[in-house]
Amino acid sequence: MSVPGSWYLILAAVLFSIGVVGILTRRNVLVMFMCVELMLNAVNLTFVTFSRMLNDVAGQVAVFFVLVVAAAEVVVGLGLIVAIFRRKANVTADDLDILKG
Amino acid sequence: MSQYLPIVVMAILASIFAAGSFIASGIFAPKRPTAAKSAPYECGIVPRRGPAQRFPVRFYLVAMIFIIFDIEIVFLYPWAVAFHQLSTFGFVEVLVFAVAVFSSFVYLVGNGALDWGPKKRLQPLVEDETESISSELVA
Amino acid sequence: MSGLVQVINSAPALMASVAIHFPSVQYGDLVPELALLVGALVAMVSSALARTKDISFPYTGIGIVTVVLAGVWSYHLSTIVASSGPKAIVAGAMAVDGFSTFLMVLIAVSLLLVILLAEAFIYEVGSRGPDFVALLLLSGSGAMFMASAEDLLVLFVGLEILSIALYVLVAYCAQVTLSREAAFKYFILGGFSSAILLYGIALTYGATGTTNIGQIALFLSQNTLTSNGVLLGGMALIIVGLGFKIAAVPFQLWTPDVYQGAPTTVTGYMASVAKAGGFAGLLRVLYVSFQTVRIDWRPVILVMCVLTLFTGSILALVQRDVKRLLAYSSINHAGFILIGLYVATQSSLGDSLYYVFAYSIMAIGSFGCVSIIGHLKGSTEGPLDIDSLRGLAREHPRLAVVFAILLVAQSGAPFTIGFLAKFSVVSAAALGQHYELAVLAMLSAVIAVYFYLRVVFAMYRPPLTADTEGESGLTLTDDSGDVMIEEDGALDQGDLLTVTRSRTIPVAASLSVGLALAMTIGFGIVANPLISFASSAIPLH
Repeated sequence: MSVPGSWYLILAAVLFSIGVVGILTRRNVLVMFMCVELMLNAVNLTFVTFSRMLNDVAGQVAVFFVLVVAAAEVVVGLGLIVAIFRRKANVTADDLDILKG
Repeated sequence: MSQYLPIVVMAILASIFAAGSFIASGIFAPKRPTAAKSAPYECGIVPRRGPAQRFPVRFYLVAMIFIIFDIEIVFLYPWAVAFHQLSTFGFVEVLVFAVAVFSSFVYLVGNGALDWGPKKRLQPLVEDETESISSELVA
Repeated sequence: MSGLVQVINSAPALMASVAIHFPSVQYGDLVPELALLVGALVAMVSSALARTKDISFPYTGIGIVTVVLAGVWSYHLSTIVASSGPKAIVAGAMAVDGFSTFLMVLIAVSLLLVILLAEAFIYEVGSRGPDFVALLLLSGSGAMFMASAEDLLVLFVGLEILSIALYVLVAYCAQVTLSREAAFKYFILGGFSSAILLYGIALTYGATGTTNIGQIALFLSQNTLTSNGVLLGGMALIIVGLGFKIAAVPFQLWTPDVYQGAPTTVTGYMASVAKAGGFAGLLRVLYVSFQTVRIDWRPVILVMCVLTLFTGSILALVQRDVKRLLAYSSINHAGFILIGLYVATQSSLGDSLYYVFAYSIMAIGSFGCVSIIGHLKGSTEGPLDIDSLRGLAREHPRLAVVFAILLVAQSGAPFTIGFLAKFSVVSAAALGQHYELAVLAMLSAVIAVYFYLRVVFAMYRPPLTADTEGESGLTLTDDSGDVMIEEDGALDQGDLLTVTRSRTIPVAASLSVGLALAMTIGFGIVANPLISFASSAIPLH
């Protein structure tokens, strides 16, 4: 007995949506950053699920690349956050208000 | 599915115990709150603002570099597993990859991103001390 | 436990049964991308071995050499494609075709101009060393991978190489608050959009069973997937993800902020190469992969296109900062490029690519002029108020003429590359019987003329005197109020001149802007070479 693949897909979609909503609503920079990572990992879950359903290894290879890309993004993102907020007490996006769109 | 049963039972027991402790302490614990008690840091001084946080930037730098060198294993491990079948082609490709990673390592070392720790800073301090001591002696 | 042992024992047998087909990699076809990567690595390693860290020109030299090599080799590849046809390389993951080689030549040319500009200005405010050139080359190689991606995964990885290096470039002047803010905004929205694109790729993979662009097209032509939610969702998410990168409305909100906050040279790079990379992905994926389901995506592109055309041109009217204004102008141009995608014929695709080329050249030239003017006004690589342009024509007549020509070319003046670009996409719309779209595009172009001319007129108006200074908050002539109490504008200008005379226009910057100007006018008058090159820019399949 096994869990049907569509459940994993739904779980991934829910995780992805949580990430999207998090980015749009949260104000803490680190939390926003974590939400991006959550989205990427939701995509990884989707890839693996499809790979299993289609019986094709390409989806799992894709996950490798996504992992590496996500790591590189983490590094650059943390670097930016450290550079930006070194002189500030807390990390909220509301502090970034010089450029008004 | 049945082999997961112990885990499920364990999880249920753990949550019952955690919830039970909270409920029991809520029912049986004495509650006589005062204003001073409910304030944070019951040690006399009311904090006006949070303590200044220090960012050990060096630490972040090394952590970041670690992530990059850590993640290369994602490519090296599958290669190592299928090393014999990948034969020369795989070896050449991994060599190219390794050269790219190694040259970034050379860049890091050359720019002093990896020599951290108090060693460099202590050196002049010690020299200063000896100088001042010697000057005192001369005086 | 016995199951685990069984798995471990059977693993070698399993693997031995799978025969691995090695892709044949012809490295000659990959030279442009590899040249940029190797150039970046050489710059970084040589800086580690060099004794003095505080120099920039050797790295600029390395950058120029590799970029020229990549550009020449791309052109060489395009002649090979013209004689012996396009081909897929690296086991079908990448393509060498007219489409990719055209864009790679464009990317190489843009990189050359940006490297020259950077040598002139960026090191005044950022640290010297190999970092800028290396990041620029890496980012450019990402754009080249996007241009030649024949697999959605290669497209994604290329996009990330392009973007991650660009996040750092935007933050290059980290001591400037504006630059840091822009970098952070760009980072969060860039990560957000690439995650959306990736989810789109995953859903497309689920619906079609492959990530190869050609095989997706093959699958969709053989299987009719009517109203397949997974496929449509994947397609929509890919459009959204790439829409962020090309700054199409409604995904343009980050653009003005980031364009204003980033160092001007980097802004020029973003407007040209990063945008070209985004368009490369969007055009190839929609036109090749989703050719058979075009009835589903074309209405979406039409709505995006019209919104982009008008949002860009109307919001540009009310901007006070030149860089913000050019950001909205770049949104407007993205709308024009989308026209060619909406018409979706082979020749209209060539028109879109021609427009991308023309826009990139004009954008780098314009941002180069903004860089020079900002430098002369004392805020190197920073924001530039429109009012501070006043009097520029009197102080630096040649600079003013060059900037004016580049702006007027962007608005579509005859005898320039901008006119030919606008003409080709609008005529493509007309040829495809989309007359309303052609009319709307021309209307938007007319509105756009107004804000370009607004900048030009600002340069040819007399400079602000002390009386009018208060309203704009400018302090160009700080002490003039004390020294020259009853004097009029003439002496103020003299004061201004002594301030500006200390700063000269760097040679590298004039070279870069001059090259951009030469191409803008040269390809506008001798139009045939570039037009025929663009019309041969056909994607594989």
